[in-house]
Amino acid sequence: MEFDPTAYAFLAAGLGAGLVTIGASYGIGRLAGPAMEGSARQPEAAGDIRTSMIIAAALIEGVALFGLVICVLLATS
Amino acid sequence: MGRDGSAPIRNHGYCMYERHLAMRKSLYALLLVLTLGAFWVPTQAQAAEGGTVDIVGHTADGFYLEFEPMATVELPRIFLMEDASGSLTLKSYASTAAALQSGDFQLVLDGETVTSDSDLSAAIDSKKHLHAGLQPAVGSVILDFSISRHLIFGLLAMLIVALIGISLARKYKRGVGREEAPHGVFQNAFEALIVYIRDEIAKPTLGEKHEKFLPYLLTAFFFILFANLLGLVPYGAAATSNLAVTGMLAVFTFVIGQVYASKEHWKHLLLGPPEVPVLIRIILVPVEILGLLTRHFALAIRLFANMAAGALVIFSLLGLIFIMNVTFGAGAAYGAAVPSIFLTVFISLVKLLVAFIQAYVFTILSALFIGMSVEEHHHDEHHEDDAHHDTGDLTPALAGDGAAPEKARVSTEREVVAS
Repeated sequence: MEFDPTAYAFLAAGLGAGLVTIGASYGIGRLAGPAMEGSARQPEAAGDIRTSMIIAAALIEGVALFGLVICVLLATS
Repeated sequence: MGRDGSAPIRNHGYCMYERHLAMRKSLYALLLVLTLGAFWVPTQAQAAEGGTVDIVGHTADGFYLEFEPMATVELPRIFLMEDASGSLTLKSYASTAAALQSGDFQLVLDGETVTSDSDLSAAIDSKKHLHAGLQPAVGSVILDFSISRHLIFGLLAMLIVALIGISLARKYKRGVGREEAPHGVFQNAFEALIVYIRDEIAKPTLGEKHEKFLPYLLTAFFFILFANLLGLVPYGAAATSNLAVTGMLAVFTFVIGQVYASKEHWKHLLLGPPEVPVLIRIILVPVEILGLLTRHFALAIRLFANMAAGALVIFSLLGLIFIMNVTFGAGAAYGAAVPSIFLTVFISLVKLLVAFIQAYVFTILSALFIGMSVEEHHHDEHHEDDAHHDTGDLTPALAGDGAAPEKARVSTEREVVAS
C-alpha cells in the first residue's frame, strides 16, 4: 500500500483538532463547573462570576483556536 | 379560597395548552421545511457532480458575490501596477473575467499559467477563475485595491451601525429617553444593549475613565455584532471571518490602549516591575512586551477563528451529503441529508449565539486591555505606606521590601478588577 505524504498532514490535522478539542473542553469544563456551583451558592455574585468565567473561557478558547488554526493550515497546505 | 385559586390555575393550564398547540404547529412547519430541504439538496449535489467544491475558498474572501442558483456577481478589480520602466499606473476592471479577457492578466490554475484563449473561456464559464490566482502579463502588482466580498459586507455593517447610531443619537438629542421614557421597540432594544455595555463592561474594567472609551467600545461591539449577523443572512458573508478585519480591530484596541496609557504602564513595560532585582527585570521586560503583543494578536485570532470555523463547520456538514453521494450513491446521500440538515440548523443557531458572544467577548477583552494600560496602579502609594511602615519598625529587611509591595500590588489589582 502506498502513502501519499500529504496524507500524514491530514492525519496530523485531524488528530490535532481532536486533541485541541479535548484540551479546550477539559479546561472550559473545569471552569464552568465551579462557576456554576459558585453562583448557586451565592446567587448575588452570579453576575461577577459569569463575567470572569467568560473572560477565562475566552482565553482558553483563544489557545484552542491557535491550535485549530495550525490544524487548518496543515490540512490545506 | 379554593374557588378563587382554582380559576387562575385552570386559566393558566388552558394557556399552556394553547402554547403547546402553537409549538406543535411550528414544529410541524419546521419539519416540513427540513424535509423539503432534504429533497432539494441532493439535486444540487447532482448538479455539482464532477467539480470539486472548495470549502475554504467559499469561507475565505473572494472577488464575487454569490447568489447561487441565480447568479454570481463579480466585483471590480483595481490594481496599482508597476511596469518595467518603474512608472506606476492604476488599472481597474469591471470584473475578474474582464481583467483576464483584456490580456493584462493571466490565469494561474493549479500552478499552471493558462495561455490559450479557449482554456481561458472554459475556465471563466466554469467559474474556476474566481478561485484561481491572477498573474500580470507585464510588470508587477504593487497593491491590490480590488473590492472583495468581505469589504462589501464590512461596509454594509458599518452603514447599519452608523444609521442606528445616528438615529438613536438624534432621538436622545430631542429628549426622548432622557426627559421621558424611551419610545418604541427600536430605541428600547438598543438602549438595553448600550446600557449593558456601559454598566457591565466599561464601568467594571475602566472605572471612572469609562466615558472616554465608551464610544470605541460601543462602535466595536455593534460593528462586530452586525458583521457577524450579516454572515448568517442568506448570500451574506461575515466580514469578521477575515483576519485583516479582525486584525485591524485589534490594532485599534492596541493603539487606543497605548496612546492613553498611564506613566505606570510604560514604566512597568519598559523597566519591569520596580520591586524586582535588575537581572530578573532584564528577563521580564521582553516577556512583558511579548505578552502585550500576544494579547492583542490573540484578540484578532479569536474573533477570526470563531467566525471562520462556524462557516467551515456548516460547509463540512452539508459537504457530508456530497461525500455520501460520491462514495455510496444517491440513496446514502438522501439518508445523510436529513441528519446533516438538522445539524446545520443546530450549528446555525449556535452561530447566532456565537455572533453575540464574540462581540461581547471582543468588547470586554478590549475594555480589559485598555483598562490594564490606562489605570493608575495606586501602587506607589502602597509602596510609600509600606516604606513608612518599614522605617517605623526600624528593620528595613531586604526580603520584606521585595515581598510586601508585591502582595499590595496583587490586592489592588484584584480590587480594580472586582469593583
